[in-house]
Amino acid sequence: MNFDLSDDQRDAAAGARAFFTGSASPAAARAALEGTAAPAPGRKALADIGFLGITVPESAGGAGGSVLDLAVVAEQGGAVLAGPSLVTAARAAVLLEGAPDLAAQLADGSAALAVLDGPVSGSAPSVDAADATLFLGLDDGVLVVGEGEVVPGAPLDATRGLARVRMTSRRVLAEDAAQLWARARQVGAVVMAAEDLGAADRAVLMGVDYAQQREAFGRVIGSYQAVKHMLVDAWVGVDQLRSLVWWAAWAADSAPAELPLAASAAKAYAAEVFERAAETVVQVHGGIGFTWEHDAHLYWRRAKVDRLLLGDAAEHLDAVARLAVAGALG
Amino acid sequence: MTAVTLPPSRRRREVLPVDFDDTAEEAAYRARVRATLEERDAELLHVRPGQSADARRYEAELRATERVLAEAGLVGVTWPQEYGGQGGTLVQQAIVAQELARARVPTLINHIGIGMCGPTVIAHGSDDQRQRYLARLLRADDVWCQLFSEPASGSDLAALRTSAVRDGENWVVNGQKVWTTLAHVADFGILLTRTDPERPKHAGLTMFVVDMHAPGVTVRPLRQMSGDAGFNEVFFDDVRIPDSERLGEPGEGWRVALTTLMNERVAIGGAGSDIGQSAEALAAHARDRLPALGAEQQVLARQAVGRALVASLATRYTGYRRFTTLSQGGVPGPEASAGKLGGTAAARLVSDAGVRLLGDDAVFGATGDGDETWQKAAAYVPGVAIAGGTDQVLRNILGERVLGLPPEPRTDKSAPFSSGGRR
Ligand SMILES: Cc1cc2nc3c(=O)[nH]c(=O)nc-3n(C[C@H](O)[C@H](O)[C@H](O)COP(=O)(O)OP(=O)(O)OC[C@H]3O[C@@H](n4cnc5c(N)ncnc54)[C@H](O)[C@@H]3O)c2cc1C
Repeated sequence: MNFDLSDDQRDAAAGARAFFTGSASPAAARAALEGTAAPAPGRKALADIGFLGITVPESAGGAGGSVLDLAVVAEQGGAVLAGPSLVTAARAAVLLEGAPDLAAQLADGSAALAVLDGPVSGSAPSVDAADATLFLGLDDGVLVVGEGEVVPGAPLDATRGLARVRMTSRRVLAEDAAQLWARARQVGAVVMAAEDLGAADRAVLMGVDYAQQREAFGRVIGSYQAVKHMLVDAWVGVDQLRSLVWWAAWAADSAPAELPLAASAAKAYAAEVFERAAETVVQVHGGIGFTWEHDAHLYWRRAKVDRLLLGDAAEHLDAVARLAVAGALG
Repeated sequence: MTAVTLPPSRRRREVLPVDFDDTAEEAAYRARVRATLEERDAELLHVRPGQSADARRYEAELRATERVLAEAGLVGVTWPQEYGGQGGTLVQQAIVAQELARARVPTLINHIGIGMCGPTVIAHGSDDQRQRYLARLLRADDVWCQLFSEPASGSDLAALRTSAVRDGENWVVNGQKVWTTLAHVADFGILLTRTDPERPKHAGLTMFVVDMHAPGVTVRPLRQMSGDAGFNEVFFDDVRIPDSERLGEPGEGWRVALTTLMNERVAIGGAGSDIGQSAEALAAHARDRLPALGAEQQVLARQAVGRALVASLATRYTGYRRFTTLSQGGVPGPEASAGKLGGTAAARLVSDAGVRLLGDDAVFGATGDGDETWQKAAAYVPGVAIAGGTDQVLRNILGERVLGLPPEPRTDKSAPFSSGGRR
């Protein structure tokens, strides 16, 4: 047993951190919310750096990497609220296993893909659909790809590129695709949990930073237990979430039978941990934390949205219980 | 755009970086452990609902079980061979723990001795002490306890008052300890005393090994909220301890105690093979009990079970991560406190979900067969949250030592203890 990242993965994380901090930021997320910019760094930059193709096979122009490789990169994107989401790339890569041409277009960015949740005739709000031109959906158990009419809304969080879509053309990619679809959704849930991990971690650090500087009643506020303990609880959650994300990503790569349980555990925990971290960073900052200019609300927005995407915590907790009762814990 | 290296995982490695599977060596070791446990199954005690009410007999059975396991080389796996251990690796120790849990063998009677007292003797004891005590401890020939807390000093351990005064080759001890787990069955204990009240509180302490059967030692069991009597008051009246039983130098007791406490957090964090902490036990219980609940209750119970399992798995895998760090040569740091916090929170959720699954039986007497396992597990959790450092104290440690937040102002660190610090 070895439950630690490899040196290669640490290097990849450091590289991804450098890339994301140079190309995306909460300021960009705010601009997206105000409608003055698209989510950063955008599809092209993500394709150029190779992040959209991390799990696409080498034969289709990808890196042929593992879900865990992708997760450590996604964590860094999450820290700065980057978009589009690597969830879309991860999920599409699974769905396009049998369509190497499309997988290649996913990896090199020549196709702007999104995966639709809910009915393809009028989808639920789906990640990265707002600026996509090609859509993957499940229609009566059949995996389809096609174009569509995008109906943007006014999402609580602008970095997720949420939109409803009505598919206008469809080509069948695979019959009997329910299982493939489910696995793709599980892998997507793992990667979203990884992005949430990065965001929650960053939120806690922002809070710690501020608590080390701000003074009240003649003392730095971080020396007060009410503040200190709130931050510790959020940090412990982040630390534990990291374990579940790595486990779930490992399961996606190496223990497929464990993936449903692990993915649901990670997604459910991510929803709660990220929400608590975001709530904490707002509270630790006091009045400043409630201002538009401060970054706290951008994390809070994503936490509120992410917890409902790809199944909310209640759905995943239920799945964990059902799977465990059915013997998934071994 | 910043230039970066891409994840070089294109080069496929033989072993995945993160890997929960056993290596060939680990698998062989696990198979050996499992075979041993199966072979000696009849000689081992097993966790079972409605456990033996006769405490004396249970104690004897626990001692016998530990002896069997020690003979089989499954106790003190990482301890040096010269003291009765196996000189094995941390991974092997974890495998043994997993296999014991799988075989439903209860927590070893000497868990405090193995987890805390023994490592302290190894680190600070004389060769003579190590030879005399350690092998016997592993076999449960002697059971050990940890005599730290006092009525007026729990979290603030260094405020303790039990005194040890030098008298020739002996020390004379007077005072009272409390909440001492296992003192009623223990043969030896590690005892923290004040030997110099004129020094600041942390500087005037000295640690000893004390014979619990020595004249002047009185043990009075205390009943806990769970109904069991697992801890005790211990009184010391002119108890004479030879100087050769000192652990570390006079005045160095705090440093010695830190070794114990560090090991304690590691020993407690994320551990637990007993029902009430185990995800597997909860899943099995849910399988039995869910069908008996109404449809709506099933939905709610599954939410509780799911939440508990997630917390439990998060704690387990965080433990694996720490443990990987340790087996790569890292030292246990303050992060271990996070393991205890997480483990306590998970144990609370797991036992609560277990109780919830009982439906009316949860509040209305025992279930038909007199099994109160889950109620007992739930009633034990508040103690878990206190023993070995309360949740608040652990949060202080994490906040200050991991997150780097400023310590609370305190006035008691430099004044002589006899002046009462700030009091
Ligand atoms: C089941 C069980 C087994 C035990 N076994 C042993 C044993 O084998 N050997 C042994 O020596 N002891 C043992 N103990 C004692 C245990 O270590 C102490 O109870 C514990 O350290 C807390 O001390 P206290 O009870 O004096 O509480 P106090 O220290 O009086 O704490 C009371 C409350 O004040 C809070 N508090 C105290 N200081 C701070 C602070 N700085 N900041 C914020 N909050 C604070 C605490 O969190 C708690 O809520 C055991 C206790 C239990 C419950």
